Amino acid sequence: MGARVLIVEDDEHVRTSLRLALEQEGNEIAEAGSAEEGLPAFQRQPSDVVLVDIMLPGADGFDLCRDLRRVSDVPILVLTARGDSHDVVAALEAGADDYVVKPAVPKELAARIRALLRRASRSPGGTGAGAAAPTRMAFGDLVIEPDSATVRRGGQAVALTRTEFRLLCELAESAGRVLSREALLERVWGYDYFGDSRLVDVHIRRLRRKVEDDASSPRWIVTVRGLGYKIEP
Amino acid sequence: MLIFALGALFLSATVAVISYERSRTYLVNQRQTSLEQQTFTNARLVRNRLRAGEPDLAALLASLGPRTSSSHLLVRDGVWTGLAPETDPAIVPPALKQAVLAGRAGRQLFDAEGTPMLAVGVPIAENGSSYFAVYALRQLDSTLNVLGNSLILAAVITTLVGAAAGRWVSRRVLNPLADVSAAAAAVAGGSLDVRLEAGSDPDLSPVATSFNRMTDALQARIERDARFASAVSHELRSPLATLVASAEVVGARRDELSGPAREAADLLVDEIAHFRRLVEDLLEISRLEAGVADLAIEDVRVGEFLHQAVKATAGGPVPIHLSDGAATAVVRADKRRLERVVGNLILNAEHHAGGVAAVAVERHDGVVRIAVEDAGPGVPADERDQIFERFVRGRAARRWRPGGGSGLGLSLVSEHVRVHNGKVWVEDRAGGGARFVVELPVVQ
Repeated sequence: MGARVLIVEDDEHVRTSLRLALEQEGNEIAEAGSAEEGLPAFQRQPSDVVLVDIMLPGADGFDLCRDLRRVSDVPILVLTARGDSHDVVAALEAGADDYVVKPAVPKELAARIRALLRRASRSPGGTGAGAAAPTRMAFGDLVIEPDSATVRRGGQAVALTRTEFRLLCELAESAGRVLSREALLERVWGYDYFGDSRLVDVHIRRLRRKVEDDASSPRWIVTVRGLGYKIEP
Repeated sequence: MLIFALGALFLSATVAVISYERSRTYLVNQRQTSLEQQTFTNARLVRNRLRAGEPDLAALLASLGPRTSSSHLLVRDGVWTGLAPETDPAIVPPALKQAVLAGRAGRQLFDAEGTPMLAVGVPIAENGSSYFAVYALRQLDSTLNVLGNSLILAAVITTLVGAAAGRWVSRRVLNPLADVSAAAAAVAGGSLDVRLEAGSDPDLSPVATSFNRMTDALQARIERDARFASAVSHELRSPLATLVASAEVVGARRDELSGPAREAADLLVDEIAHFRRLVEDLLEISRLEAGVADLAIEDVRVGEFLHQAVKATAGGPVPIHLSDGAATAVVRADKRRLERVVGNLILNAEHHAGGVAAVAVERHDGVVRIAVEDAGPGVPADERDQIFERFVRGRAARRWRPGGGSGLGLSLVSEHVRVHNGKVWVEDRAGGGARFVVELPVVQ
C-alpha cells in the first residue's frame, strides 16, 4: 500500500519527525544523514521514491540528484526553502520530479509521493473513457511503447524518468492537439489549477534534450504560444 | 528662466511706460506753455499795431516771426485773415473759436491727420478781433517717438538679460536641485541604486555627496534586513519542519493519550498549525517588502482563475457574477499569489463577517475589479485604511480562534496587490456589509 522512501536530510530531528509521519501514512522509510551517505544508501536498498533536502550543505543536494539520475530513473522529490526561488528550477534541472516547500505538511508530502508513483498512461481524462491507449506510437524514428514503458530513438533506448515518460505519453496520445500546462500538471503530477507550471516547462526542456535532434528548435515537441504544448505528428 | 524673463519684462516695461508718460507729459506741457507765451506776446504785438492803426493784417501777421509749421489768423467781425492766403480758418477747432470769440483766451490740443497740434486763441478787446495761432508739434512728436523707441529697446534688452540670467540660475542651481529632488523621490519609491554626480560646483557637490552617502547607507541597511529576513527564514524552517511533522504524528494518536495529555496535544497541534501559517505569512511579507520575492508572472484568464480560486478556499458555494468582458479578461499575474489575495479576502469574510455573500468581477477601461462581498457588520470609514496594516483587527472583528487567520491576511493582500501594480480598498456593500475590491490592470 505504501512506498519505500529514502529520506536524505542532515538535520536529525527533521529526518526523524518526517520518518515518523510518513511511516504513519503507511510508508517504509530508509534514512541517510548526508549526500555522501545518500547514494550508497540508495544502491544498497532500492527505494520507490527519494526525498532529498536540497539545502544540504554546499551544492550536495543538487549533486546527489545528478548522481542518482545517472544510475536510476527513480522519482526524486526535493525539499526546498522557498517555492519562488531559482533553487526550484535548478533542482528540477538536476533531475528532480517535483518539490515541496519546507516545512512540509506530511499529508501533502504523502500525496506528492503517491502522485509520483501513479502508473503511467492510465490517467483520467486521457484519450477518452474506455478507449485503450495505443500500444505503440511512432514519430519519425522516435518509438514509444507505453506498456513496457520504453522509448527508442533510431533503435537506441532512451533513458527517461517516470515523470518524463508520462509527460511524453500524454502528449503522444493527444498528438496534434495542444495540451495546456494546467492540463499536463493535472494529468502527470496531479496538481490542480494552481500548480507550478515551471514543473511542466523544465520537464519539456529535459524531454527535448533527450528525444530531439536539436532541443532549441524541436521537431516533435512544440510550444504553442499562450496555449501550451503539443506533439506535431 | 521664464520667471526671470517675465519679471525682467514686467519691471522694465513698467519703468519704460512710467518714464515715457512722465516725460511726455512734461515735454508736452513745456511746449504748450512756451507756445502759449509766444502767442500772447504775438497777441500784444498785434493789439499794439492795431491800436496804432496798422491796416495791413497780412503784413502784420508776417511780421510776427517764422511761419514754419504754424498758422496765424486774425478774425474781426467774421472776416478771417490768414498769414498766407491758403490758411484755412477751419483749422481752428470750433470749441476754441467759440470760447475766444466770446472773449476768453485759451488753448487746445488736437490732432490733425495724425500730427498733434496746438491752437492758441487770444481775444483783442479794443478791436473786437481775435488772434489765433495753430502750431504743429511735429518736433515734439518725433522727440517723443525717439524717447519711446529707446525705452522699448531698453525694455527688450532688459528682458533678454533677465532671460539669460534666469537660464544661468536654472543651469547652475535649479536644475541640480531638481535632480536631487527627483533622485530622492526615486529612492523613496524603492530604487535604491540612484546616485548623483558630484559635479564641480562647490555649492552643490556637498549636497550630492551627502545624498550618495545617505543612499549607500540606506541600501546597505535594507540589504542587511533582507539578508536577516532570509537568514531567519532559513533558521526557522528546520525547527518548524520538525514541529509540523511531529504534531501530525501526535495528532493522529491523540486517542492513545490520557485526559490532560490529550488536551495538551490538541493545543499543540492547533498552535503549531497557526504558528506555521504565521511564519509563512511573515516571511512572504518581508520578502515582498524587501523586493526579493520572485514573481512567476504569466497570463491569467480572470474568469477561470476566479472559479478556481473560490473553489480552493471557500467553505461553501459562493455565487460568482462576471460582467461582460470580465470573464475573458486577462491579467499578468503570479497565479498563486493572486490566489492568496482572493483566498485571504474570502477567509476574512468567513472569519469576521459570517461568510462570503458573493464575488463579482467588473471590467472598466483598462482595469478589472474583483469584489468580495459579505453581509457582515461592514468596516467603519475610519478603519478602512488601517485594516490593511499588519496585525490590526477592526473593532467588529472576532478574536483569533482555531482555523482563524494569522492577522496578516489583509496586509498580505495589500502587498501582493501592490507588486501586481493594482489597488485594493474596502467600501460599503449596497444592502449592508463590506465590499473588498481588488483592481488590476488588464492586458486584453
